[in-house]
Amino acid sequence: MRTLTTSQAMNEALREEMRRDPSVYVVGLGLYPSTGDSATNGLVEEFGESRIRSAPMSETVIAGSAVGAALAGLRPVAELHLADFAFNALDEILSKAGKWRYMHGANGAMKLPIVFLQGIGGYVAAGAEHSQSPLALYWHSPGLKIAVPTTPYDAKGLLKTAVRDDNPVVFFTHKLGDSGPVPEDEYLIPFGVAEIRRAGADATVVATSYMVTLTLQAAQNLEGQGVDVEVIDPRTLEPLDIETIVDSVHKTGRLVVVDEDTERCGVAAEIGAQVMERAFPALRAPVGRVANPNLPIPYSPPLEEAVLPSVAKIEAAIRATLT
Amino acid sequence: MKPTPAEQLELYTLMVRSRVFEETAGALVVSGEIPGSWLSGIGQEGTLGAIHQLRPDDYLTYTHRGAYGFIGRGSDPKLLLAELLGKRTGYSRGKGGRHIADLEHGILGKSGTIGGHAPLAVGVATAIQIRGGDQVVMSIFGEGTSNRGTTHSSMNAAAVWGLPVVWVCENNGYMGNVPAPMYTAVMDIADMAVGYDMPGEVVDGNDVLAVHEAAEEAIARARAGQGPSLLELKTYRMRPFGETSTDLRDPAEATAWRAKDPIRRFRSALIESGVLTDGATVAISEAATAEMETARSYARDSSFPAPSDAFEDLYA
Ligand SMILES: Cc1ncc(C[n+]2csc(CCOP(=O)(O)OP(=O)(O)O)c2C)c(N)n1
Ligand SMILES: [Mg+2]
Repeated sequence: MRTLTTSQAMNEALREEMRRDPSVYVVGLGLYPSTGDSATNGLVEEFGESRIRSAPMSETVIAGSAVGAALAGLRPVAELHLADFAFNALDEILSKAGKWRYMHGANGAMKLPIVFLQGIGGYVAAGAEHSQSPLALYWHSPGLKIAVPTTPYDAKGLLKTAVRDDNPVVFFTHKLGDSGPVPEDEYLIPFGVAEIRRAGADATVVATSYMVTLTLQAAQNLEGQGVDVEVIDPRTLEPLDIETIVDSVHKTGRLVVVDEDTERCGVAAEIGAQVMERAFPALRAPVGRVANPNLPIPYSPPLEEAVLPSVAKIEAAIRATLT
Repeated sequence: MKPTPAEQLELYTLMVRSRVFEETAGALVVSGEIPGSWLSGIGQEGTLGAIHQLRPDDYLTYTHRGAYGFIGRGSDPKLLLAELLGKRTGYSRGKGGRHIADLEHGILGKSGTIGGHAPLAVGVATAIQIRGGDQVVMSIFGEGTSNRGTTHSSMNAAAVWGLPVVWVCENNGYMGNVPAPMYTAVMDIADMAVGYDMPGEVVDGNDVLAVHEAAEEAIARARAGQGPSLLELKTYRMRPFGETSTDLRDPAEATAWRAKDPIRRFRSALIESGVLTDGATVAISEAATAEMETARSYARDSSFPAPSDAFEDLYA
């Protein structure tokens, strides 16, 4: 099978969906002239400047106009580049996209089919305002769906599903990117179905995005020491495939959640609480959390490493559940 | 173009219906039957001159003040009042209160954040542009709302993309009890149009025919693909900020503006020109009163939502 980068896989997803449905369009900063490896590379040549809409530098307009266009019947993809920048459009994403259908009592069967593309992640020496991964912020707020693909294969299949969903989807991809096999034939990946990245019997680790990559390395290191780790990638946080996680905990009795976001009120706290509600008797150790210890992300690599999750920190957290 | 006598009567009737609706809603706030609040647009009905110029397939976005947007577009007062009373039969099934969408009439929702609707108007106009067609979006906001970045970035985007948006600022001189010079650098909001390379015009907002005429031009421009315009309607709110708010504005100023009441002014002009008779005036008012009483009964007789309804409507 051919190998694609995450951006190339997303590019294919957008191209296919835009060919299939004339109501799909993309709005964002600097979408053309195209420069190399981006999800929107080369799309303007096929779809024109009206549907590949290069926006003024206003996240408010990028996200807010997507909401307005969705209300008027289109299916916008709002390219916000970095999650850090999307904070400028929280009223538009959290309150308008997330809550308007509910606030208006689904009047006229109101639909908000929007995809908000956001890049996340550190490990690139970009500092506190270019490195954030605010998954929990969006998960906390009602009305949104949240996709966090790890592989190019998942990025393509989930993005196609996101574009076809009648609800707003926040779609996070890590700025480190990835490359991997992607089939030529069309496929979609349903929301709410976790992928077991590695089967194991001794401990369950839940991770998303680049945290999956780090966790698989940790699992490999521990394998040599006789510890058999199961790695679950939920792929979407909303909806969350909690059953797959709970089933795994019933098998292993141990749970660690790895999250690049700040720890407080985070993804690990939420998944930990849900597992305790559903499978407390199965737990043989406290739920472990590996996350940013509630600090802004510093610039200098040794400082960044001190704050963000690492293979060593994940290994230590797994070990702690075993002693 | 001056509206025909029939159009003038229609416009006058809309103004009266809007006012009686708002009086009815105001009384229901005071009696406690409306559990939330109502931000009255009484005195600002001249804006209907602009709304009346829209076609049924056009769109309207606005935020917090007045009922004339709904009445002018043809929304049902029964469903509006039922919503304000928190009833299941209301437009938002009791979930929105003042936040009402009437998609059938091109009202796509009401923003709880003032100025939150401006980028949405840009998006609706984007949809029109992508689909192709000559619909327009009218986006109404207050002069206080002109302070928000959403307003400015949306005006810029509409101009850059050449979108069919008609921005309508209702300048009533106050944000709550705070007078405009305390928060707005320019005294004519229309001046902001210069920064976004579009026409900007100051209009007497209490002269409904002047508003009608100015809007006609702006809408024609938008329909012809010539991009956005900004109209500023100078007006005055005849009620406090909200129905239960304390009004700290100068009473003498309020009295002076009351003499310029847009409905009274239009009525005098219509009687003078023979379009309206005293008898017809009374009939229009009585019909509006009867209509809103019926709407109030409908709202009162409707049932509240069941607690389980709170769990519906989040996802499509
Ligand atoms: C983002 C936001 N900030 C503050 C408010 C509270 N608020 C509601 S209306 C209003 C005043 C708006 O003034 P203006 O735009 O002049 O409209 P007017 O009330 O005079 O019609 C304020 C501050 C709000 N709803 N949303
Ligand atoms: Mg004002």
